[in-house]
Amino acid sequence: MNNGIAGTSLRINLTIGEIERIESDEEVYRRWHGGRGVIAKILYDEVPRDADPFGPENIFIVNVGIMSGCFIPAGSKVEFGSVSPLTNGHGDSNMGGHLGPMLKFAGYDMIIFTGISPKPVYLYIDNDTIELRDASRYWGMGSLDCEKQLKKDLGEDFEIATIGPAGENGVLFSCITHDFGRQAGRTGQGAVMGSKKLKAIAVRGNRSIGVYDLESLKKQVMEIILRTKTHPNMEPWQKYGTSFFIKWSNDNAVLPAYNFQTTYFNDVGKIDGDQLVEQCLISHKACFGCWMNCGKYTKAVIPGKPIVHLEGPEYETIALCGSNLGMKDINHVAYINWMLDNLGMDTMSGGGVIAFAMECFERGLITEKDLEGHTLRWGSVDDVEHLLDMVARRRGIGEWFAGGSKRASEKIGGGSEKFAMHVKGQEMSGYDGRWSPGMLLSYMTADIGAHHNRSWTITVDIAEGRESVEGRAKIVVYLQHIRPLFDTWCICRLFWGEVDVTPEEIVESLNHITGWGVTVDEALRTSEMIWNLTRCHYIERNRDNGRAFDYPPSRSWEDKIPSGPGKGKGVTRDQIEQMLDEYYAARGWDKNGNPTREVLEDLGLVFAADNLEKLGFLGKPIPGGIPPVRGEKYKPKAF
Amino acid sequence: MVIYLKAGSELRHRLKPDIDYYTRRIKTDAGKTIKEVLIDLGINPALVAFVYTEGKVKSLDFIPSSGQSITLQPPVSGG
Repeated sequence: MNNGIAGTSLRINLTIGEIERIESDEEVYRRWHGGRGVIAKILYDEVPRDADPFGPENIFIVNVGIMSGCFIPAGSKVEFGSVSPLTNGHGDSNMGGHLGPMLKFAGYDMIIFTGISPKPVYLYIDNDTIELRDASRYWGMGSLDCEKQLKKDLGEDFEIATIGPAGENGVLFSCITHDFGRQAGRTGQGAVMGSKKLKAIAVRGNRSIGVYDLESLKKQVMEIILRTKTHPNMEPWQKYGTSFFIKWSNDNAVLPAYNFQTTYFNDVGKIDGDQLVEQCLISHKACFGCWMNCGKYTKAVIPGKPIVHLEGPEYETIALCGSNLGMKDINHVAYINWMLDNLGMDTMSGGGVIAFAMECFERGLITEKDLEGHTLRWGSVDDVEHLLDMVARRRGIGEWFAGGSKRASEKIGGGSEKFAMHVKGQEMSGYDGRWSPGMLLSYMTADIGAHHNRSWTITVDIAEGRESVEGRAKIVVYLQHIRPLFDTWCICRLFWGEVDVTPEEIVESLNHITGWGVTVDEALRTSEMIWNLTRCHYIERNRDNGRAFDYPPSRSWEDKIPSGPGKGKGVTRDQIEQMLDEYYAARGWDKNGNPTREVLEDLGLVFAADNLEKLGFLGKPIPGGIPPVRGEKYKPKAF
Repeated sequence: MVIYLKAGSELRHRLKPDIDYYTRRIKTDAGKTIKEVLIDLGINPALVAFVYTEGKVKSLDFIPSSGQSITLQPPVSGG
């Protein structure tokens, strides 16, 4: 094919060990644009609504999208998807590195895993050779350790993705790790891999990828390369990655501290980007085709502990495993990062769960007896180490926390639901939304639970007024359409979205690759279609009005920020309800948060409207009709 | 004195470059901090994460010298 598509997909039935090669369907890619879009459609069509996320009927999908591996900068991503055990809805997560391009070089666009293997296996792909190999000697190994061992056994030129003991044991926020530090962290994709007894994927390939108009693509790409090479923000990105924004978040009262109790951390100077570079940095690290090299290869040195090497910590991990846990030493944050990586747990949800547990301990809701004689004090890396071991092995009270903070709070009770900082079961990212109402709304309405990457509005809130919620909804809707396109096309938002490449230029690249003649408006509609499909899937699985799932924990409106620049600030419950009302109206959904037939039919999702209607959750018609265009671009901010 | 401010993405729209795609020439008083210069320009300093000049990160309390070129770094919009 000459359209960025390799041409072959794999369907692998793990129960019987059958590997089937099928032709990649270009029509499906044309409609759903690959990556997250194709995943959403397959999950919606093929996973029964009552399927257990850990059961054989759940499907685990690896999709490399259209643009990954092509002659473009930062075409490095690979997308994973399944029904999430954490949220019980559509789940997807992606990683950079080199796996996605390598899979395409081997000749494959997608792998669909069904069933459950009777014994631990890993998938071996070397161009045309595809095998399910015995993984029993790797089962139980840490993610990073397993990758090292597989590279030793198979060859350094294999690209490898692994899960750790947490994924093997069904910790709901388990991740998939690759390239010694890139993770598909969110929504528990590592747990689904583990439930299928799939320890790793190892790929080597050396084929080329055909594109529609290589000369035009090369010309455009060279222009983008030369222009971004001298972009004023490129050098700071290359030197410092995302770690340098920790201080900004602290100064602007959005940095979570002590389980989102407050938004100002007095010791931020001990864990910020300066400290990372001075104390931990070994070298910069880049993904396929990218020279932003935002990755930082580092070491953590703590007296009495082995020196460990890792990639990170980046912004989210410093926030959620640093200030959020009261850590006052960047080496401690890096060590926690390494533990989570090797055990195979998302550092974001991991930080959120540990922080929740710490607050439970502080309040006496869990005790040393529950923790096998250990404490769980703010700022103690030793206490965190012990808890993580309990969680990864699901030992004792670790079993509760292995389900995430939502399920843990349901077990612990005592009012702990108030400070289990999740939405739909997924823990919040490293920004507190109490003085950033658009960010709070972004968390509330993200399809995969609280996650910042669908929509990030903090500078919008700062520019437009942090006390006001008016007008945020339409902007959040727009961002929820444009930002997930990166996950659909499998390119990195940091390169394509932070150094003045425009949406029009990205679509131009897509068209040079595919020949499709897509416009930005069409791309946004495709993304809106995907968004509505995942919403319908969520409602159908969870059998209630959508609004029931769109609330943050009550700390978000009951507790004003107690200290720092944001002292006394916070949203009210009334403002939360107002934002939801405006959001649903902006989306063409009814007041219950359910998509209406009008908007679903406008997006070509008649089948989804029919399914919602059968269940009694189709949105009621909106007087005056739906908005003709859903979402409004906030002019200065492209992404 | 004259300094040169550079910015990309969201900040570039607010800076209104006049030298090239990213750069604006600013006349300002010696001794002013970058934060004060931004306020004079009508740019909310909270929209700038840090400034970068001569290969080093500086805070918004940095006082530039005449002729200095300073990059305004916006916060990562989701790291």
